[in-house]
Amino acid sequence: MNQLNLKRTLTLLILPGAIFLLLFFLVPLLFVFAESFRDAEGALTLARYGEVLSDRQFRHVYLRTLKIALIVTPLAVLLGYPSAYVIVRLPVGRKSLLMSLVILPLMTSPVARTFAWIVVLGRFGIVNETLRALRLVQEPARLLYTEGAIVVGLLQLFLPIMVLTLVSALENVQDDVEEAALSLGSSRLGSFFRVLVPLSYDGLIMGVTLVFTGCITAYVTPAILGGTKVLTLATLMRLESLVLMNWEAGTVIAVVMIVTTLVLYNGLRIYRPRNL
Amino acid sequence: MKQPRFPAVLFGLTLVFLLGPFVVILLSSFSADSIMRFPPSGFSLEWYQKVFNIRMFRTTFWISLKTGLAATFTALALGVPVAYALVRYSFRGKTALEVFFSSPAIVPGLVIGFSLLRFFIFVTKVPIGMGLYFGHTAILFPYAVRVVSASLRNFDPAVEEAAVSLGSTRLHTFFAVVVPNVRSGLVAAFILAFITSFNNVPISLFLTGPGVATLPIQMLVYMEYYFDPTISALSSIIIVFTILIVQGAERALGITNYL
Repeated sequence: MNQLNLKRTLTLLILPGAIFLLLFFLVPLLFVFAESFRDAEGALTLARYGEVLSDRQFRHVYLRTLKIALIVTPLAVLLGYPSAYVIVRLPVGRKSLLMSLVILPLMTSPVARTFAWIVVLGRFGIVNETLRALRLVQEPARLLYTEGAIVVGLLQLFLPIMVLTLVSALENVQDDVEEAALSLGSSRLGSFFRVLVPLSYDGLIMGVTLVFTGCITAYVTPAILGGTKVLTLATLMRLESLVLMNWEAGTVIAVVMIVTTLVLYNGLRIYRPRNL
Repeated sequence: MKQPRFPAVLFGLTLVFLLGPFVVILLSSFSADSIMRFPPSGFSLEWYQKVFNIRMFRTTFWISLKTGLAATFTALALGVPVAYALVRYSFRGKTALEVFFSSPAIVPGLVIGFSLLRFFIFVTKVPIGMGLYFGHTAILFPYAVRVVSASLRNFDPAVEEAAVSLGSTRLHTFFAVVVPNVRSGLVAAFILAFITSFNNVPISLFLTGPGVATLPIQMLVYMEYYFDPTISALSSIIIVFTILIVQGAERALGITNYL
């Protein structure tokens, strides 16, 4: 194909999709971004950022959101690695069955999935009834609308992503690498940390990035399991914009959320310890 | 391969953690109690009856279905040509375009929904139902491009060249040779995109209004006012359908390879 033809073909193939995303994705995003730096008269200002960022409630919620992500992510790694390790070693048929079970929380309606935790953690839920039957508590313990409930819900949602990422990373590691380490006298745990982890490091970082940024932006889980009592960045943004009609604050929180995500998304992938 | 015991035990516990809540919600949906109690004190089908009797669930189910189908078809119609261009040709600015077309999956959904609402209200005055459809199409785009690209990469371009050199036009070759060969990728993209749209909350949260809500949004609204097992019953129906679709798609297409 000559140059002119190639150009025409590419334009025909790409342009419709590009225009659509420009109009219904990029331009609205840039519009909100620009708006966050303007006051009511349209003059450039940082006042909106000053107002939101100096607000004690905002800072409290922001730190809580980071804290939750910092708890969920290591737990996902801790449970995700052994799971991926087991799945990779299964025969094809069983592997496919187990993978389709693992991804179930990811594919189910988030409202349905999160509501299940209300049945588990509620006042008369399975955990409280068990505790009472064992006479460990007199009154039902408050498990819902706590940071712990949000952590549990997010872990169920994002663990499958971690497992998926680690499975594809470990699949690229040759089967006999571990056997070689073992036959050379390494312990199983030693070979895991010194051979398998370094060889699947990129997958691990990808998984950590996805889970961490996912925790910061997730909405349904904190909305149902935290409510308005335990706000996170996402539920605060909804509260400010759709309930309190404070669009200025909503705009700033949107920018803060996207900047946090992008910084983490790029920052985590650049970081690489020297000995790996 | 020999499975060491410790990781296998941890994996078992992980599965219980991931799937246990689904079992609990299924059991609680047949409860005879009018509050959320587990274990339930008796058996009834009352809540399933109630799901079908609530008109707002029926209305919003149809809105979700229509929005999901329309957005999925649009995203595929626009995304498949893009995937084809990105896989088959090399040109300047290709990497930038790849990033651009995958970015709706990286930007938080809540932020996309928020910006679309602001933009639609203040600049373009798009009706809310249309806004919902546009927003859903935008977030499905990356799925269409990524899944179809993966499947195009596994298809030998020589087959296509053969058809062209035998006199078939490019367009005809695409529909007669390429499409049948990447069929499973197209179906996988369709299923993933539709599920994503049907389940979506962050975009719909901002792009729904009086009279236009999707099923998940309606469920959230219902939960704010009532605390009975109706949502358990509705959730159970959705969960069972999801299991059937995912299992079917895994058997037929190996859908986990496309995630």
